[in-house]
Amino acid sequence: MTRRRSPYPYWFVLPAAVVFTVLFLVPTLASLWFSLTRWDLFTASFIGLDNYRQFFKEPFLVQGLVNTVIYAALTSVSKSVLGLLLAVLLTSGILWQSFLRAVIFFPVLVSTIGVGITFTALMHPTRGAINIGLAAIGIHGPAWLSNPELALYSVAFIDLWKGIGLATLIYIAGLAAISPDYYEAARIDGATRVQQFWRVTVPLVRPATVTVVTLSLIGGLRSFDIIWATTRGGPGFASDVLASVIYKQYQAGFYGLATAGNVILFALIALIILPLTWWFNKREIDL
Amino acid sequence: MSVSQSSVVLKNLTKSFGAVDVIKGVDLEIAPGEFCVFVGPSGCGKSTLLRLISGLEEATSGTIEIAGRDVTHAEPSERGIAMVFQSYALYPHLTVRENIGFGLSLAKRPKAEIAARVEAAAAVLQLGPYLDRKPKALSGGQRQRVAIGRAMVRDPNVFLLDEPLSNLDAALRAQMRIELTDLHKKLGATMIYVTHDQVEAMTMADKIVVLNAGQIEQVGSPMELYNAPVSPFVAGFIGSPKMNLVPNVMGCATYGIRPEHLDLSTSAGQWQGTIRHVERLGAEVILYLQTEAMGELVLRLPGQSAPPPGSIAYATPQPGRAFQF
Repeated sequence: MTRRRSPYPYWFVLPAAVVFTVLFLVPTLASLWFSLTRWDLFTASFIGLDNYRQFFKEPFLVQGLVNTVIYAALTSVSKSVLGLLLAVLLTSGILWQSFLRAVIFFPVLVSTIGVGITFTALMHPTRGAINIGLAAIGIHGPAWLSNPELALYSVAFIDLWKGIGLATLIYIAGLAAISPDYYEAARIDGATRVQQFWRVTVPLVRPATVTVVTLSLIGGLRSFDIIWATTRGGPGFASDVLASVIYKQYQAGFYGLATAGNVILFALIALIILPLTWWFNKREIDL
Repeated sequence: MSVSQSSVVLKNLTKSFGAVDVIKGVDLEIAPGEFCVFVGPSGCGKSTLLRLISGLEEATSGTIEIAGRDVTHAEPSERGIAMVFQSYALYPHLTVRENIGFGLSLAKRPKAEIAARVEAAAAVLQLGPYLDRKPKALSGGQRQRVAIGRAMVRDPNVFLLDEPLSNLDAALRAQMRIELTDLHKKLGATMIYVTHDQVEAMTMADKIVVLNAGQIEQVGSPMELYNAPVSPFVAGFIGSPKMNLVPNVMGCATYGIRPEHLDLSTSAGQWQGTIRHVERLGAEVILYLQTEAMGELVLRLPGQSAPPPGSIAYATPQPGRAFQF
């Protein structure tokens, strides 16, 4: 006998469904629509794909897109690699382990704008502490944030400094979940420390790696605040990323074009994260 | 006993963790090909002793010889041992084949040699059909065999097994006991096996080492320990249900009599008591008798019949079966 499906359970879904619809579904669909219009906040006239055409025709917009990918890849890879190495170091029983863990995590707690202002001062070409320090050992430091060749990488470094603590924390939790038996079995099999790292730690810490890579990649792709607080995308468009470009288009009143940029950013994140997540999940392991 | 190729000799071995002495001077010789079981309650130091032999723990003092060589300060991988962990420690991201060949691939052995040795171990352990599976897709008993296979390909002098059956259910445990005993016969290797389960010790061991609070209480064959325990601790640990041990009676510090060596009568006998509880197991009855003189006595009687709880009965020890400590 099959029981009649009662509508009763669906009432419990309703509140969440309303919130999701109002705060996510409606804005997403609306921005899809507005990206196809010339829009001045009061009137919107349909112009098809013109905004997208214009977006990909403007060299500085395309550069913003390229910069976004470089910036996200750079910060994500460096956070994953250095985060894992720091986590291994901070779980190896070194002196002052707990204190050092706190030190590593501290930048995560500081406001991004504060970090940006501080590093702008530290990275000043002549008066900044970094170049003064380099000068003391006879190195002529570059203009970290105002050299177009360097600006994007300098900002990525600041992002790494600020974000590495979270990556390390996630990795420390991941390492704690690996049973010591695996290392002891490997020692009996004659594994060196390096072999233990590559053959045991790296594969078994994978769930943490998935989290760190996914979080830092999404964070890197939509990064805005730290760039705005340091270079405002400059000099020129050298350190502009999609988010800062979009913000500038809004400021200039190109709402339709800016919205098209948002849709492109959304699509870019989805295009990178979805296959990556699928690939990660396919190889998921149980510890 | 002559020191031949695969014996283990422990001399005055101690281990302390800070101020806590976990192993307090252990002397032991294990003959080549022997199946030696370390048994004792939780915290008696049996696992620590095994880890000292494996090299995963460093001895505080004393020496460890394996196959006639002093390995007290040698790396685990250089001791000619292989270990099977309680958790099996199978790498979840590797297939059965890769798990078994893990140590050989670390040592960068040629691929053909690894394949051949993995296949050979798999054949002995009947793991052939599962070689390309991940551990997740195996049953508990199969995982156990993979862990043994990983030990086998190392071709060790001594196998160390740390409570290898404790994660299995009762039926599988009984089956694996027999499989392990067969495997021991087939390989002829020295095995040291840690367990808290005296049934495993009795059924598998050539030699049982009973440990208590970091010291050896008694060493002997299963029947020696059963028939001639040197202390109330050993007497109470070996045998199930455990021996009745009554302090300060019959003119000794501890009087011991096994449940199977007490006869029951409803008319007359040495100790009168009230039957408190009866457990019928089919082939035998376990009976709990509350006596005036001896406290609660446990009796093990053949068959299925027993007087009902609450009735008066008499227990009498069979002549020559009692122990006085």
